[in-house]
Parts: sequence; structure tokens; C-alpha cells
Amino acid sequence: MTPALSIRHLRKVYKSGTVAVDDLSLEIAPGDFFGFLGPNGAGKSTTIHCVTGIATITSGTVEIFGIDAVKNYREARRHIGLSPQEFNIDTFANCIQILDWMGGYFGMSKADRKARADMLIQKFDLVPHAKKQFRELSGGLKRRVVLARALIHDPDLLILDEPTAGVDVELRRDLWRYLQELNAEGKTILLTSHYLEEVERLCRNIAVVAKGRIVQNGPKAEYLTEPGGLETAYLRATGATPEHIAAGAGR
Amino acid sequence: MTVNWVGLWTIIRREMSRLMRVPIQAFVAPWISALLFIFIFGYVVGGRISTIGGHRYLEFVLPGVVMLNVVNAAFLQSTSQVYFSRFLRYVEETLVSPLSYAEMIAGVLVPVIIRSVVTAVGILIIAALFGASSVQGIGEFIFWVVGVSAVFGLLGNIIGLWAKNFEQLTILNVFFITPLSFVGGVFNTIQMLPPWLRWMAWANPFFYFINGLRHSMIGFTEAPEALGIGVTLILAVLMFGLVLRLYSTGFGLRE
Repeated sequence: MTPALSIRHLRKVYKSGTVAVDDLSLEIAPGDFFGFLGPNGAGKSTTIHCVTGIATITSGTVEIFGIDAVKNYREARRHIGLSPQEFNIDTFANCIQILDWMGGYFGMSKADRKARADMLIQKFDLVPHAKKQFRELSGGLKRRVVLARALIHDPDLLILDEPTAGVDVELRRDLWRYLQELNAEGKTILLTSHYLEEVERLCRNIAVVAKGRIVQNGPKAEYLTEPGGLETAYLRATGATPEHIAAGAGR
Repeated sequence: MTVNWVGLWTIIRREMSRLMRVPIQAFVAPWISALLFIFIFGYVVGGRISTIGGHRYLEFVLPGVVMLNVVNAAFLQSTSQVYFSRFLRYVEETLVSPLSYAEMIAGVLVPVIIRSVVTAVGILIIAALFGASSVQGIGEFIFWVVGVSAVFGLLGNIIGLWAKNFEQLTILNVFFITPLSFVGGVFNTIQMLPPWLRWMAWANPFFYFINGLRHSMIGFTEAPEALGIGVTLILAVLMFGLVLRLYSTGFGLRE
């Protein structure tokens, strides 16, 4: 079966000479809910940026459902929806415009954009805020808009880069439920998060990245066999100090 | 490869929406500036100047005033469109979408041309109040407004990609565009210049732009039309090639 996402020997070196991603290889099966963990600066967001076209690739290949993301980037991008870690939005635009424009970039007809945007605005409880400028919204509402934007063109592969950062518990739980629904419908989801309980609850497979390389990759069950569960396994994989690991295991 | 027309139209819609948030800055300011130029240089001072090539001074100056504002409108529109999309990072919306580089560049150029044409038409209407609006060759007039807008829209695109801060956006305007446009024949003919300075006019692309527009409006010319058209087309093609190259390498756009 063609993987939803296949990354082979990806390397990304910034102009400054910083090696952000180094020989990273990864495969995500269609329909998977995949956790992508790592400490700050490990290369998670850079990897996502290389996959989605925000960053150029120094070497290696990326394929989305078998489509080369560099050579055939237009076709590959039709399959991806991205919710980035940092807000990348015209902050003076309102929610309706943000969704409408994103749908437009993906070539959706006016009627399709309207129907889809209405559904997402309803789904994410954005109806009272639909005509407010993005800059007027609270942090949690902004997250919802960014998520709705990622879903406007009904992508097959949803990439969520810390989607619940700064989000209250209630919304986080709503979001979890919605993501599980999407996954049950067959959408492939790649999730990065610093909330390990979130990853443990949602993901079936998990990869841990440190210093630009994959240091552990496998089913969630493999991580949970460790005393201290996912947290200890994660700390061990990322090279945390024995004190940190012991603190995690004893919790 | 098919054109993503909806995507292209969406970039244009988004930018027109952004433009309409600042109508005074985008349109009213250049119209007032042009009104002052027309009033002072054309009406007050011009009344004391004899005709040039059989034309009143106001009629002679007007094409230059139009061209100054077309150049400024085009350059400001593209630099702000490209730079703000980088500064607020919403350029990433287009980078992750199925849009080609040519579509992204066209999405910059179409609003540039719209803003320039609206600016030019507004100035013509103002000039008509002073009895000075005439366009002898409408096709030629459109060529010069659209062609020069495209050249400066592409140049502004390059600056918008290159700039690291707001000050860098204005460098080219302050040190290159404004000085060259003022010495490019807005207020005078080449013959009025000292002989040792005339070669500079021939080496100044603004001279061809202003001269071409002047020919389209009042029929007065100091250079072969084909030369001016050639210079403009060559600049537009070279700039487009350079911008396309910058987009395809991700310069200023991708990490």
C-alpha cells in the first residue's frame, strides 16, 4: 500500500550552516494517527516545513501518497492540510475571508468554499466570531480558525504542528474528539505535541526525533511497556539526564 | 500543467481587499499630490512659461506627473504586497497551496496594474478640471501605463523578497526611482538640459517611459517610439525572468 507520507534521507541545512534535519526517514500508512515527538529545536517543525513546501529540502525525498512533493509539488499539496505551530495569517482578515481564501488557493468553487466554510465555522463553534478580524480573537479561537483553515479543502493528510498549544482543556478535549472522528473517517493525521498524554491518547504510532534524527519509531504499545510509560521512553530516547528519567518514572 | 484560475483570482481578491483597507493611502494621496503638481507647476508656474512643442506647459508636464504616480503606485503596491505577506507570514498559505510560481507572480502583478490604472485615470480626471486632459492614442497610453506598471511591479516584487525590514523597502525609491524620474523629463525636454547632461537622459529608462506616455497623450516625442517600447519590453522580460528564478529558488519565501 502506498504510504500517506514517505520521507527518505531528508536533510535540511539552513544558510547559517545549522543542520536542522539529518538523514531523517519516516513512513506513515494511510489512515494512521501518527505522533511526532521531540524536544524544542529537534527538527519537527523543520521536517513539516520541508513536507509542506514552506522550507526547501537540502537533500532526500518526500512523497505524499506516492507523489513527489518537490517535482510534482502542486499535485502533492492538494492532499495536505497544515495547521502550523505559529500563526501565519493576514491578521486583519476575518474568519470567513481566511477560510474562503484558503479554499480559493486550492481551486475550490465558490459554492464549495461557502458550504465547507459554513460547516467548519459551525463545527468549531466560530459562528459568533466569523466576522471578527483574526487579531481580535483569543488564542484558543485563533487555534480553531487555523485548524478550520487546514481542513477547508478536505485534505487526506492532516499535519498538525502543536495544535493545542495555549488551548484550554475544554477546547482541547473537543479537538481530540473531532480529530478522532476525522481519523475514523480515514484521514491520516500527523501530530506533533509537547503534551505526551495527548499523543498517548490519540496516536497509534509514534516517532521521536532528536537533533534532526529519528531516535525511536514504532507502535505506541512499544513505548508503553517501559516503566513510566511514554514519558520515560520519550526522555530516554531523547537523551535526557538520568535524573530527569528517574523523575519521570517515579511520577 | 493547467492554470489554477480560482487560486490566481483568490490572490487578486485578497490583495484588492487589503488595498481597500487603505484607500486614502493607495488612491487619494497620489491624486492630491498630482493635483498640487498640476496646480503649481502647470497652472501657476506654467502660466509664465511659453509653449513647448506647441503645447501649453501644463499639457507638457501632465504625462510626467501621471508617470511619476504610476511608477510609485506600482512599486509601493508590489513591495507592500510581497513584504507584508512575508512579514505576517501569510505567504505560507500560498506556499502550501497548489499554486505555480507564475500564478503567484501574476497575483502580484494584476493588483499592481489595477492600482496604477486607477491612479492614472484619477489624475486624468483631475487634470480635466484644468482643461489639460488629452489622450491621443488610447492603445499607446494603455501600453505605457500597463507596461511601466509591470516593470515596477516586478522590481517591487524583488525588493519585497529581499527586504529584511521596512526601511529597506524604501531604499530604491529614495535613491533610484525618485531622482531618476525627476531627471527623466517630467518638467523639461532634453534640449533644455546642458549638452553635457543630455547623454544621461538617454541612459535613463524613465526618460523613455515619460516620453512614451507624453507621445500617447499629446503627440510630443524626443525619442523613437520603438526604442522606448523596446526598452520597456526588454526590462519587463528580464525582470520577469529574474522574479521567476527567485520564486523557484525560494529566495525570501522559503526557509
